[in-house]
Amino acid sequence: MRRSFPSILIKDFKLMLSSRFLFLALGSLILYSCYINFIYIKLDQDIYPVYLYDPMKTQIGVSSEVIRVDTLEDLQAQCADGHSVGIDVSSNEPEVIMVTSGITSTDYFRAAYALSLLSPESSYTAELIGQNDKEMKNRREITSEFLFFELAAVGFLGLASILFKEKQMGVIRVHGILPVNKSAFIISKLCLFLLSDLVFTGLLTVINLGVSAGLNVLPAVLIQAGILSLIMALVGFFCAVQLPDFKQFSLLYLVLAIFITTPVFIVGQTSIDWNWINFHPMYHLFMGMKNAYFATSSAGGSYYLACGLAIVLLFLLVHWALTGEMAKEG
Amino acid sequence: MCILSFLLPVIVGLAINMLSGMSFYSLSETSFGIVKSDLSHQTMAWLQSNGRVVAFKNVDELKAAVLDPASQMIGVLRDENGIKTFLSGDELQMNMIIGNTLPKLYAERDAVAASKITVIPTANSNEGMKSLLIAITIVTAMFMGCTFNAMSMIGEKEDGIALINEVLPMTRKDFIVQKVFLGFSGGLLSTALTAFACMRVEAEHILPLLLIIMLSAFIAALAGLFIGHFANGLMGGITYIKIVMILFLSPPILFYLVVPAGSTLHLLSYLLPSSVTFYGLMDMLNGQMQNIGISIIVLLTHCIIWLLLFCIVSKRGLRRA
Repeated sequence: MRRSFPSILIKDFKLMLSSRFLFLALGSLILYSCYINFIYIKLDQDIYPVYLYDPMKTQIGVSSEVIRVDTLEDLQAQCADGHSVGIDVSSNEPEVIMVTSGITSTDYFRAAYALSLLSPESSYTAELIGQNDKEMKNRREITSEFLFFELAAVGFLGLASILFKEKQMGVIRVHGILPVNKSAFIISKLCLFLLSDLVFTGLLTVINLGVSAGLNVLPAVLIQAGILSLIMALVGFFCAVQLPDFKQFSLLYLVLAIFITTPVFIVGQTSIDWNWINFHPMYHLFMGMKNAYFATSSAGGSYYLACGLAIVLLFLLVHWALTGEMAKEG
Repeated sequence: MCILSFLLPVIVGLAINMLSGMSFYSLSETSFGIVKSDLSHQTMAWLQSNGRVVAFKNVDELKAAVLDPASQMIGVLRDENGIKTFLSGDELQMNMIIGNTLPKLYAERDAVAASKITVIPTANSNEGMKSLLIAITIVTAMFMGCTFNAMSMIGEKEDGIALINEVLPMTRKDFIVQKVFLGFSGGLLSTALTAFACMRVEAEHILPLLLIIMLSAFIAALAGLFIGHFANGLMGGITYIKIVMILFLSPPILFYLVVPAGSTLHLLSYLLPSSVTFYGLMDMLNGQMQNIGISIIVLLTHCIIWLLLFCIVSKRGLRRA
């Protein structure tokens, strides 16, 4: 048993190489890093542009933010998007013209904001209480999301692809008669995937957060990544043993990727309030990951206890399924 | 299993339809956080006319909510001559400016109340977020056809059916027609059902909608053929599907939200078939029918070009084999 474990480990590693799993992980790493660095951190929303139609040049001391236009038609055309605001001061009273944004309060604010630009600017700035600027927040946020998605999806998929290959080759059947412990069969796969996921996590974090910020959060992130990786790999193992072929499995994967993780992202990313999300186990895993990236206090002992229990239960389930499969294969 | 995955977008479409518009409505509204019984009633009422107000028990809770990276909340507290604001510093440019100008707006609130404000209404507004989700679901439904085709082709390759096909008296044209048809009809059905579940379309708009769906489902099925042609194994296929899925789903949303209509980048985004579909669907959901014709023509061009490309590519593949 002691001597057989390393050989199983080496065999699994060779399988991993041949199924181009590492190539897939590297491709994802490059794709995600490019997206984060070239697109995501640049996303922003500007304040409403304010256009002024002032033919008599009555307004002096208006803010430099205001864009002057020459005709009333031009003013109306510029303000047709539901975002920009126009001010017409051709008569004595300034008149605010805008297309509704669909929300009454936002419309009211837009009008008030536009009018405030006509009077001298104030030097007031709001107090800032946070540690992150927008770019750092975006980096932490999107990195945690990508990592979550990647671990949830690839851990699930990678292990399954190897297992299906083994099933095809008849390895499971052979293992049924070999004096190899079934736990060793499962643990060697888990170890390899855990290791590759942890390396992936480290690289993704350091590349996208920068070295110092990345190393700061890395210990907490690695713990969460380890939990998620183990859980997803075990789930993938179980599904792969139960389902007859990879085609069906990949459809299940698509379902998981799109429909199970999307609500988690919607709630985690925005301030939307859905109470039922608390019953979604993936949500807690996601929040654990996100909190680790923002270095805020994460969930307490009960969370880790639940995760530990889930891993043990899944392991037992996988063990049971594998025993059944080996018995079936003869 | 396969039928189930085609049905899933339909279920999601129904779910979106059932979600009240209100929960999405609150997303795009500016949100202010206050401490209970800190502001006067008048100030509260003024704040409520400018956005959503959430009250917290004490300053610490308020600070925690403002600091929450998922929120764009602006903290508002009483000050000796009005109000003061605080932010976490990671907000969007727009919310930063709102936080910085709010005390000034508060001081000028009477002048604003007295001035003349003309708000021009539009049809079907305040459903922005919901229609976005609907459009995403429909595009996802189309993507199912692509996955199905790719998977069935790779599966056949692995099983050796692809090699058998080459000696069978089946022409390449038959093969393409048969494959496209399978994924196409599945994707089409799934998409049409999803659209039926969550879109309210007037009678005269059904034909353009159907055209958009048909053309896009055809392109999705073709994309599946491309993946099936190039991928060697299942894992490779999954990689391609993942890349195509990201290309298929995320740029349209990004282009739609970030790139202003009429710019060069917007024109360039027409090169990507899924963004054309997305624009068409969003226009339809927002009741703007003037650009639908353009979307349909562009999609048709895409269909022809990609089909020709696939014919060329598969011919070359055959010669090599």
